[in-house]
Amino acid sequence: MVNRFDSLKKTWPVLMVFLMLLPASVRADDFTQLRKNSVRIQTISADFVQKKFMKILSKPLISEGKFYYAAPSSIRWEYSKPIKSVVISGRGNTKRYIASGGKMIEDKTGGAQAMKIVLDEVAGWMSGKFTSNPSFTATLQEGSNTVITLTPVGKSMAGMIERIEITVSRKDASVKSVRIVESATAETRIDFQNVVINKEIQPSVFQDVQ
Amino acid sequence: MKGLLLLIGSFLLMSCASLPVIRPPAGSLGKTFTCPSPFFTEKTRLIHAIEVRAAGKTQTVMIGVTITDPATRSISCALMSAEGMAFFEAAAGPDGLKVSRALPPFDSGDLARNMMADIDLIFLAPQEALAQQGVLAAGERVCRRHKKQGGWIDVSEGRDGRIQIRRYSEGGSLQRGVNLDGNAANAYASIELQAENYTLVMTLIESEAVKDEPRLSK
Repeated sequence: MVNRFDSLKKTWPVLMVFLMLLPASVRADDFTQLRKNSVRIQTISADFVQKKFMKILSKPLISEGKFYYAAPSSIRWEYSKPIKSVVISGRGNTKRYIASGGKMIEDKTGGAQAMKIVLDEVAGWMSGKFTSNPSFTATLQEGSNTVITLTPVGKSMAGMIERIEITVSRKDASVKSVRIVESATAETRIDFQNVVINKEIQPSVFQDVQ
Repeated sequence: MKGLLLLIGSFLLMSCASLPVIRPPAGSLGKTFTCPSPFFTEKTRLIHAIEVRAAGKTQTVMIGVTITDPATRSISCALMSAEGMAFFEAAAGPDGLKVSRALPPFDSGDLARNMMADIDLIFLAPQEALAQQGVLAAGERVCRRHKKQGGWIDVSEGRDGRIQIRRYSEGGSLQRGVNLDGNAANAYASIELQAENYTLVMTLIESEAVKDEPRLSK
């Protein structure tokens, strides 16, 4: 069970990053083209609104934040509501910060180390190695929008994640939403807005927590 | 030698543990008074940011959701990371405890049962008859009840209106301390739960009365 939890802890932020990397890359009808396009990405920035659906909630719990990426491996994944938290990864170092007493302090639970392992993998994905992650199989379905479904392989995530659906606009190839189905009564939906590709991001974004 | 000292220390500590002395009420309080009761009187859903502190330092922050129903004395709760990863879901009531999701370390031992007991302590009024009421050393008015399964619960209110809930063992050792620093509108706006090795500081994000059964809405 510990391994399963570690696996999920590692997978969760990776999914977020992986899914954000898709906007510029999912232009083609297959993953070969996706792999070719992925190498063009130098930076990504986006706002996101996350809705958490659970049986215990009458209405979704809404979180908001911003995502930044700069090649080859700098990442900032920041939640501003309802709890402020920041994950910064780059140059072989990953740290997670949480708001406490009006300032940001480093998370002491070891979650950042798990994230480091994961975010290091992102560099591989940025090189187009989407199929190198053995944790998921990916299928692509065309309709009014393109839907990519990631299904966990094996039992490592049984009971934790059933599947992930990424909806990509056919019109402009941008990711419209991501749906992470955890169970029949729990899922997370992330809507991306203001996605900007290959625009310069100040280095301080990946260094300063505040 | 260390073991022996620890044993002697523990023995002395246990010997010294005793319930706080309650003095008879006096002055304007009269012989009896209405017991402090911050507890819910209707089914309520709360969402809190939960800061986990140990060894005097903040360790992590998570999101907690609770539904408590005083009519049935049932509790539902869920814990998730700040990023929305759910790692614990459970419900408890007259039919017992049902854990529907528990990722490590939340699957260990009696964690779920203890967590439900803590939620019960914080949000649901004790059922037992009043054993004693009066004032504590610092002047807080307090009501003490003896738990059916053993142990004591004190609910006290200070002169500033702040409410404290204390759970003691049968022998008088303090097991849990709850400080409610909320306002008149919601006593549960800020909760501090003190246990032996950790402290939880809970800050209210959202509160609502529950009219319907919770359901998955999309």
